[in-house]
Amino acid sequence: MRDDPVVVALVARAAQGDQIAWNDIVERYAPLVWSICARYRLSGQDVEDVGQTVWLRLVEQLGKLREPAALPGWIATTTQRECVRVSRASRRPDRAAAEPDDLESVAGPVVIEQEVITAETHAALRAAFAELPLRCRQLLTLLMSDPARSYLEISTILQVPVGSIGPERGRCLQRLRRSSCLAAYIDNAV
Amino acid sequence: MRDDWDDDRLLAALREAMAARQAVPAKFIETGKNAYAWHNVDAELAQLTYDSRHDEGALARIRAETASVRALTFSSARFMIELEVTAAGLLGQIMPPGGGTIEAESQAGGTTIAAIDEAGGFSLDPLPASPFRLRCRTADGSDVVTGWITL
Repeated sequence: MRDDPVVVALVARAAQGDQIAWNDIVERYAPLVWSICARYRLSGQDVEDVGQTVWLRLVEQLGKLREPAALPGWIATTTQRECVRVSRASRRPDRAAAEPDDLESVAGPVVIEQEVITAETHAALRAAFAELPLRCRQLLTLLMSDPARSYLEISTILQVPVGSIGPERGRCLQRLRRSSCLAAYIDNAV
Repeated sequence: MRDDWDDDRLLAALREAMAARQAVPAKFIETGKNAYAWHNVDAELAQLTYDSRHDEGALARIRAETASVRALTFSSARFMIELEVTAAGLLGQIMPPGGGTIEAESQAGGTTIAAIDEAGGFSLDPLPASPFRLRCRTADGSDVVTGWITL
């Protein structure tokens, strides 16, 4: 999983000045940064500060990363460090003694590793989804809606027979499963 | 994705993946994309070498004696930049002394420019939006940028 060629290629292009590749990196990993910040229950401004610092550090590190494939791990560790720094700095000094460090919020390597794996799986799923034909994306989006929609509602919206929705759902999910974006994950799981 | 995941499980995973992305505000992503403007900024980096915030004794002294609330020092191979933060603004001194310009560049995007006098002194008022960094361009052509400063 750590050898995701997509990530390695994005880092190489961004290091050479490709803003599009950089944008893809941000799109791909912003949810990871965001979810770690959520764990620390930081204020909105503090989350913004952490995000800015993480991305600026990464900009400085592009081209210096010894192992571009380890990027998600680097992002997770840097985000966690910044969250700890910001949450300590924003704590008022007169209350610091009464609020000892919440050690449980400083996750160990196992938690971080799990967050990275989840973020990578999510990113790969989104990439695979983006490559599906429009019909599939429409159908799956409707099938994922919350609150859930009935097949009857979906058939009305898409103007297709109710009976075609089940089989079409299966075909679309099979295409998703077979996507090259998920190839690294299938290999890893076997 | 595990090949043995059935349709329901795959769809549930996809729903989770989409929800994780939708939870992130557009502004957060935009800020990340804008950070790329700092790629290949070719200047000498001055790193933080002193911060009164990490020096309890100094903090008490500064508060008692002057209107300054924080003192910072940044050093590079050739330059030292001393800063004093007060409620009113920021006072600075670059050494060795010499004229030039100083820019305060906020991560959020704003830039404030002020002159550095012949003695190496400068002031910025009001304070730049945190976090920011300072970029000194001296009359003799040197370009020095500090690490990020959060007040």
